[in-house]
Amino acid sequence: MLLTKFKKEVEDILSRYPVKRSALLPLLNLAQREEGFVSEPAMRDIAKVLELTPPQVFETVTFYTMFNLKPIGKFHLQVCKSLMCALVKSDEVVTWITKKLNIAPGQTTPDKTFTLSVVECLGSCGTGPMMQVNDDYYEQLTEEKVGRVLDDLARDGNCPLKSGPFMYPLPVAKP
Amino acid sequence: MATPSITKNMITLTIDGKTAKVPKGTLVIEAARQVGVMVPHFCYHPKLSPDANCRMCLVEIEKMPRLQTSCSTPVAEGMVVKSASSAQAQEARKSVLDFILANHPLDCPVCDQGGRCDLQDFSHEYTATTSRFKELKRVFQKEYFSPLIETQMNRCVQCLRCVRYCDQVMDVKALAPVGRGTLTEIKSFGAHDLDCEFCGGCIQICPVGAITSRLSMYEFRPWMLKRTDSVCGYCGDGCQITFQTKDNALIEINSTQGAGRNNGDLCARGYFGYHVSEHPDRLTSPLIRDGQAFKAVQWEEALEFVGQRLLDIKAKYGPDAIGGLISGRCTNEDVYVFQKFMRVVVGTNRIDSSVRYGHLNGVHAMQRVQGTHRWAVSFDDIEAADTLLLVGTNITETNPITGLKVKEAVKRRGAKLITIEALVPAIGSLSNISNLAQHHFAVKPTAYAAAILGLLKAVVDQQILDVELQVKAQSYFNDITANLQALSWEAIHAQTGMDSDSYAQAAQVFGQGQKVIILVGPGVLRSQGGFGMTMNLLDLLLLTGKLTKPGCGLAPLAEENNDQGAFEMGGIGAVLPGGTSLGDAEAREALSQSWGRPLPDTAGSSLPQMIEDAKQGKLKALLVVGENPLASLPPSSGIHTALEKLEFLVCQELFLTETAQQAHVVLPACSYAEKDGTFTNTEGHIQLVRSAIDLVGDSRPDWEIFSALSVMMNDPMEYGDVKEIGKEIRNLLPGTRTLGLAPLPAQPDATAIARYVTADYQRDVATRYQLPAIDSPDAADYLTLQVSQSLFHSGKFSRKAKGLLQVEAKGKIYLHPEEASRRGLSDGDTVKVSNALGDVMAPVGIRERIPQGVAVFPEHFDEEIRRLLPYTVDPETQVPSCKVTRVRLEKVSGA
Amino acid sequence: MSQYEKILLKNMEQPGYTGSLAEYEQAGGYQAFRKVVKDMQPDQVIEEVKKSGLRGRGGAGFPTGVKWGFIPKDHPGPKYLCCNADESEPGTFKDRQLMERDPHQMLEGMAITCFAIGAETAYIYIRGEFRLGASILEKAIHEANAGGYLGENVLGSGRTIKVYVHAGAGAYICGEETALLESLEGKRGMPRFKPPFPATHGLYQKPTVVNNVETMANIPHIINRGGQWFAGIGSPPKSCGTRVFCLSGHVKRPGNYEVPMGIPFREFIYDIGGGMRSDKPIKAFIPGGASAPFLTPEHLDVKMDFEAVAMAGSMLGSGGVTVMEEGTSMVWAALRLMEFFYHESCGKCTPCREGSSWLVQTIQRIWNKQGRDGDIELLSDLCKNIAGRTVCAFGEAEVGPIQSTIKYFRHEYEALICEAQATMPRNKEIPMLTL
Ligand SMILES: Cc1cc2nc3c(=O)[nH]c(=O)nc-3n(C[C@H](O)[C@H](O)[C@H](O)COP(=O)(O)O)c2cc1C
Ligand code: SF4
Ligand code: FES
Repeated sequence: MLLTKFKKEVEDILSRYPVKRSALLPLLNLAQREEGFVSEPAMRDIAKVLELTPPQVFETVTFYTMFNLKPIGKFHLQVCKSLMCALVKSDEVVTWITKKLNIAPGQTTPDKTFTLSVVECLGSCGTGPMMQVNDDYYEQLTEEKVGRVLDDLARDGNCPLKSGPFMYPLPVAKP
Repeated sequence: MATPSITKNMITLTIDGKTAKVPKGTLVIEAARQVGVMVPHFCYHPKLSPDANCRMCLVEIEKMPRLQTSCSTPVAEGMVVKSASSAQAQEARKSVLDFILANHPLDCPVCDQGGRCDLQDFSHEYTATTSRFKELKRVFQKEYFSPLIETQMNRCVQCLRCVRYCDQVMDVKALAPVGRGTLTEIKSFGAHDLDCEFCGGCIQICPVGAITSRLSMYEFRPWMLKRTDSVCGYCGDGCQITFQTKDNALIEINSTQGAGRNNGDLCARGYFGYHVSEHPDRLTSPLIRDGQAFKAVQWEEALEFVGQRLLDIKAKYGPDAIGGLISGRCTNEDVYVFQKFMRVVVGTNRIDSSVRYGHLNGVHAMQRVQGTHRWAVSFDDIEAADTLLLVGTNITETNPITGLKVKEAVKRRGAKLITIEALVPAIGSLSNISNLAQHHFAVKPTAYAAAILGLLKAVVDQQILDVELQVKAQSYFNDITANLQALSWEAIHAQTGMDSDSYAQAAQVFGQGQKVIILVGPGVLRSQGGFGMTMNLLDLLLLTGKLTKPGCGLAPLAEENNDQGAFEMGGIGAVLPGGTSLGDAEAREALSQSWGRPLPDTAGSSLPQMIEDAKQGKLKALLVVGENPLASLPPSSGIHTALEKLEFLVCQELFLTETAQQAHVVLPACSYAEKDGTFTNTEGHIQLVRSAIDLVGDSRPDWEIFSALSVMMNDPMEYGDVKEIGKEIRNLLPGTRTLGLAPLPAQPDATAIARYVTADYQRDVATRYQLPAIDSPDAADYLTLQVSQSLFHSGKFSRKAKGLLQVEAKGKIYLHPEEASRRGLSDGDTVKVSNALGDVMAPVGIRERIPQGVAVFPEHFDEEIRRLLPYTVDPETQVPSCKVTRVRLEKVSGA
Repeated sequence: MSQYEKILLKNMEQPGYTGSLAEYEQAGGYQAFRKVVKDMQPDQVIEEVKKSGLRGRGGAGFPTGVKWGFIPKDHPGPKYLCCNADESEPGTFKDRQLMERDPHQMLEGMAITCFAIGAETAYIYIRGEFRLGASILEKAIHEANAGGYLGENVLGSGRTIKVYVHAGAGAYICGEETALLESLEGKRGMPRFKPPFPATHGLYQKPTVVNNVETMANIPHIINRGGQWFAGIGSPPKSCGTRVFCLSGHVKRPGNYEVPMGIPFREFIYDIGGGMRSDKPIKAFIPGGASAPFLTPEHLDVKMDFEAVAMAGSMLGSGGVTVMEEGTSMVWAALRLMEFFYHESCGKCTPCREGSSWLVQTIQRIWNKQGRDGDIELLSDLCKNIAGRTVCAFGEAEVGPIQSTIKYFRHEYEALICEAQATMPRNKEIPMLTL
């Protein structure tokens, strides 16, 4: 059971709130980080710890778009399509990825490495087009940059092009 | 004369030009209702906290910017509200309907709600005939939801009333709004079937046809239905129900918000259990034994036969060779005529009823201590209580609606709850009252007595005592205190597993309560020593000065719908109608005056005694009305031998039960759906039962059968109809005149209390204040087995209800998951359950709320497991107990 | 570049500044909190903030000191501070920078706020996607705990101030303060109706203040340099201080720029943002995040303060300025935003829930050249029936882009509908029965 594996973490989370249910999102995040999605057994376990019924956990899970109810690829490519990114051609980012990986939004590559999603604003409108891959942001994307990110991830599981700590524009060093 | 505090808290406002005067805190929508202004709404419901999501109830309020939702706005002094008179509000409502209808499938022709649908009604009132919505409607995939409840989410208006009801009122939380925005739909967990209490509340509270009953799906259009208001026949709560019939067929049951003691709430039995009356196995004509079989005969023949046999036996052995047993499911009128028949036509006080199975312990205890045979509190007092102590009652399953009152008090009004109950707090698909408890004493079913003593001891230890009474009743105080001080905390701890600190804390809470009610359930009332425990709980109230305080009192929970009435109508040999004792000269005189015949002088006898007498050949004939002792008592009671020994056994029944199969004559009686009369619920409230369908086959109301028999026996007691009986009862017993909206609870009687504290208590104080000897610490492989009530059934009767069988069709021996895994058992395995009395096979079920070391089996399916149950009889009240034993389990085969 | 004095971005613009506690302290960090703890009463702190004229930076622009003043003083139980770091308004990305680059600045603001309102526990509700921000904050809290600024007995005062990071999980609506509280309670993030307000019935029904990250970041400076000083910056009396505006869209230098409120959009977009990124002229701009109605080039001289923008028919909102060049279809732009709002409507209120899906389908149809006569009136009508009839301000927000694009660019809608009608007339509906 997931929660015994992370006993200390769970206890730490629980200690932060006077009301148990508040720990729901953090525990779901924990479960998803572990399994890549929120499984039914995980929801049942969490329900038990928080003294909720499974439907109460379920209703909450389905309200938030970051929770996946089914397994997805190892890297979740989420391209922002909201207006600000769209103005700087985020739709093309989707085309580039589709071309390179041969998957449409909502699909996963056959080797289960990449899942492509098109999402709403991720809060980096000034540095679009952008995408989030798992925990990391990749901004000011170009076709070449997207290619490099995907190659690096597939090969190394990591890519140095990710951004952060965020600051834009970068200050120009005073002469 | 209005008290100043009331006038101060009244607020005056105008709504559509009408002046309303309402208490502070009232919502505008309610104030409007009171002056006859109906504000249209979907999401608002008086039972639920406002959510203001549908935006249908918008009104214009002077001095407020934009339109306000009247369902969430409290009144304020001088407020000027415009509803129908506001063009702006009307316009807004129109647009809300436009929005709702945009995605609504408009499948009214096939919708069971068509004709009683808020959406239809408001649309009719507000919308233009065309919609400007020309886009694709959202369509939810149809999914299987549950065996009894159907969802059609395309019709949902997302008011979340169902979800909020399931949480706020029922405390079940089985419904989940899933997804976001317009794609939100009501589901269970994942793609799983709904697993819940099946109270039907979501169906009833849905303003449209999004949630409907599968039992009646597509069978009717609402305007075809005939409504009959009546009372549920399943448990002591006495819920108002409305039978909806079509062409003499029971189509559905519902209950009206605002009506009845249940205020529109029902449980699975009430909502889905109505098919019993129409079961194909119903007896349709009288049967007379013909060797091994029965032959169907005409009523005349049957009555003549029974009458003659009874006369013969009476002539040969005397009237006391005949006994009668009646069910607490019968109406007051049935019981009244029955006992009158037994007492005057037969001439015996050998009368008993199902009150004997447990409720009598509570009634006798109340009589002895406070001189009432009814509660001194009502459901309303439970809701208003600030402290509640529940002992031996898994109230959700035994008395679900009383349970809702407890939930209301605890969840919404902040009452403190103390529970003494075998089941442990655990979240499951049924609500579990101990989840809400501040102090829960999870004790074995055999240790309730010890836990009650622990609480008493803590009260004395901490001097949470009524000083005035202490002075007035010194010896009572001293004796009890001395007895309690002689008990050691170690011993109490050994039996209950709870230490003195826990008792001290609970005693503090109990003592601080101003409105304290103790609810006692079958765990106490039906168990060995149940009477003594109930007495001790009354002592607890007395010692702490709460017994006579308004809003305080003891509430023994009646199991069958008319247990309380059966007692009050004299369905107990030793008790006369009105609840006075058989020896009460004044009452005897009044009765024989009215009946025109003398009352028999012999003592009354109880069912256990009748069993003994039958075994010894002293009882020759038994008239069993709606009772099934062969199924209610274990073989260890000797009931089998007793019945076999009888020369003559008559059963009045709906079905050929185990007992009826042994009978010489079976007379077909009719069910509560077919008869008129009254039931008295657990709080002593008398309510009207009305026939909704014609008599099935040749069946007859029970009272009519007794009346006909009396004629056959040349001692006619003739009644034209039920009303005549009712009149006779009311003339005789002024206390039964309380038909009305709410019961007036009985008042504890000061003389009775004085008698009790001065002398009467001494009779058994020493025994009651001793820890009962319970079995030596359980050997590791032994479990305490408790056979108890399930939410989905009532006696064996409800096993004829097809709806309820969909939820629970068989008995399982339920264990805690860890207990099961320790024993290598899992859900569905078959085990051999055994003890000194024998062994039986049973499937295993898993439930978190069962404590370790305990197994629970539903009594409704106990035909096999009953063989393992020992039987004891309370010396004082003659209440048999046979619900707890010790067993071992042995796995026979895997699932 | 900008000649204005930086307040919030000052530290982080120092080369090599990483935002660690040591660096923050070196730059004068936590002096304000020391001062508050040592020399000030809670009421004085609230007074000072009131005097500063600081208004919330999260969108609604409510005066911060006044909000704090609503917290009942003698309330016996716990009180809470929630820092709104949900930053989900399209066009806004300043909080992310403030959190990731100078976390102690907002933490100090939070500590002061907790002191002022008497809260012992504060939560930072950060949008779930900001994983990096959350870990930076966690680390900073850790440092502050170790440094005695947070935790038990802060700065030896005997007071406890615990701060926790609470990550959301993808729901724009959780930026709305009551939805945020619901979400923090582990529920679906559906806004609550008001009253009661969070100030009395907030988190766990206890008195609660909800403030934006940037609002919090301003607090230490107000305490250090005085409310008076702050009130002299920008466009007093109603729009005091600087704001970190976020510039995005078709400009040369998108990004976060801190300027005093009240400079004209023209200066912001052209001087600071470097103007249009190609030679195409500006066609329209959004002055304050996706919820703010569009403005046009004729509004370029409007001042970037609360009143002026409101006068111009829009709002300063979250401070996200998005610029669109000539050639951008306004129907398309409205559609993109409407898709966002449709996706994010929590579904509580009928008009918002059903209206957003109706609106999005209708605009989609127009954009796909399947528009019908009367569609524009329909859109306007739907908008009218949503705004002002919902629990939260999302209702107003979602109709802003449509109403404003119809107002200024009606011809673009008409052209698309005309084209649709010309190629494929669709006004032949089932004939209506007329009596
Ligand atoms: C739909 C909606 C979304 C919002 N999103 C945010 C947000 O992402 N961040 C934020 O700080 N405030 C947001 N707000 C504003 C908050 O409700 C609230 O006004 C703010 O957090 C108060 O803090 P302030 O006074 O410091 O601005 C949003 C409001 C609405 C109606
Ligand atoms: S206006 Fe929209 S987002 Fe706000 S509460 Fe209502 S449905 Fe939810
Ligand atoms: S009844 Fe008021 S908003 Fe639904």
